Amino acid sequence: MRRLLPGPVLCAALLTAGPALADHCPWDTLVALPGQLNDGGTAVAYKTNPARIEVGKPFSIEVVACIDDEKHMAPSRIRVDAGMPMHGHGMNYQPSERKIGPGHSSFDGMVFHMPGHWQIMFDVYEGDKRQRLNQKISVKR
Amino acid sequence: MKLSRTACAALLAGAAIVLTGAATAPTTFDDDETALIVSHGPWPVKTDADPSNRVSGKPAAIAYGKTLFESNDLSVDRQRSCATCHQADLAFADGIMRGIGLTRVDRNTPALFNMRLNRWFGRDGKSDSLWAQSIAPILDARELGMTPTTLKTRLATTQTLSDGYRQIFGAAPAAHEAETVMVNVAKSLAAFQETIVSGKSSFDMFRDGLAAEDPAGIAGYPEAARRGLKLFVGKGRCDLCHFGANFTNGEFHDIGLPHFPEPGRVDKGRYGGIQQLRKSRFNLLGPFNDDKLRATAGFTRHVRLTPKNWGEFRVPSLRNAARTAPYMHDGSKATLEDVVDHYSEIPEDRPHQDGEKLLRPLNLTDAEKADLVAFLKTL
Repeated sequence: MRRLLPGPVLCAALLTAGPALADHCPWDTLVALPGQLNDGGTAVAYKTNPARIEVGKPFSIEVVACIDDEKHMAPSRIRVDAGMPMHGHGMNYQPSERKIGPGHSSFDGMVFHMPGHWQIMFDVYEGDKRQRLNQKISVKR
Repeated sequence: MKLSRTACAALLAGAAIVLTGAATAPTTFDDDETALIVSHGPWPVKTDADPSNRVSGKPAAIAYGKTLFESNDLSVDRQRSCATCHQADLAFADGIMRGIGLTRVDRNTPALFNMRLNRWFGRDGKSDSLWAQSIAPILDARELGMTPTTLKTRLATTQTLSDGYRQIFGAAPAAHEAETVMVNVAKSLAAFQETIVSGKSSFDMFRDGLAAEDPAGIAGYPEAARRGLKLFVGKGRCDLCHFGANFTNGEFHDIGLPHFPEPGRVDKGRYGGIQQLRKSRFNLLGPFNDDKLRATAGFTRHVRLTPKNWGEFRVPSLRNAARTAPYMHDGSKATLEDVVDHYSEIPEDRPHQDGEKLLRPLNLTDAEKADLVAFLKTL
């Protein structure tokens, strides 16, 4: 009979096996979303809800990220934030994440409180390594 | 033949000359400016009842709220009411630099028009609903100085207030917990305040005329106000914060005013407001929100506290600006001319300037300042 690993050893093995067991990102979903960014093999796709961002009105943003656009691997974490670089300020609200699946999340509570040039920052993590992809968006009154 | 909006605006302006007999060339607006101007309406904005307040929009609660608003029984010394500082003939403000209840407070008393359009309440946005904000002056030791218990006793022992309460909330005040009585009083006060809506201004007539390309609609709008409006949406960039039908983004900015109500004591502004909001039992995430799904609590759930919030105050609506002097959160600007001077000459090396690059001195001429004030007076 094959011997099982002791419980603590098995747990430790599973916990440290994160990167090796990395999930695939939902590539089919990624290519279907309207917003597309790609930098150095990291691909991000997004869709805002509602589609047209209105100044002062809350919106959510669905994001799919792949850290390897060949192997379609999911990142360990996605973070989304936004700011107005020319004004030197960010959003007054902190988006909250709803995980949909590996490499696939929705962020609620986004609000662009002023008209003008905004920049959405998509931070894609592979462990501690972060890659930032930016999307410029102009919002009118 | 179809005319462009610019051509229409020029023609309309020409018509205005004929109708007003003005001798000089009138101010015209291009398509972009016209779109910006039209975005400040229509007025009034249609609003729904507040889902967080089950008596919002209910006639009986509105009438009871008015009674409470004017009742000295809501103050610990029975010498003052909400209406003492929010006087109907002073745009529901008090016309003085800083409000005076049982003692003087740190901030200017805000006017109460069009409150249903607000997202945040109070100069620092410490409340996320009008009813929660209505609790604040009742409990503030500098304003009405009550406690939930004294308020409950006062209602229970004052026949008219007790009867009104029972009619709306289905039981006498004595049958409810003190905190519940206080929240119900606040919700009635909010129901009344929601009905204080300002009427159409001369700007609104002009804006509607421009939107409808109607010469008669724009004819009566003063030329100085037109020049001021052009500055407002152009060189002044005022409408980056004062946009929409209510002329505000409803958010918070540091505009370079002092943070100290008196030497050695700081007014934290929005930073303190968010801290108070988060620890309040009366915020929209708490047990007194009548919107059980908490759909109304999204802004409260996501609001972010950062060091830049220090010294920020809520961007006020500019409607009725001519009636709401003095100005700013601390009432430090006596006139609209003083306000325009502030933005025209705001120092670039002021504290915290690095956190908000938006405000730069406008360097307006005296004529431009006068035009901007003329425009503000039409709101």
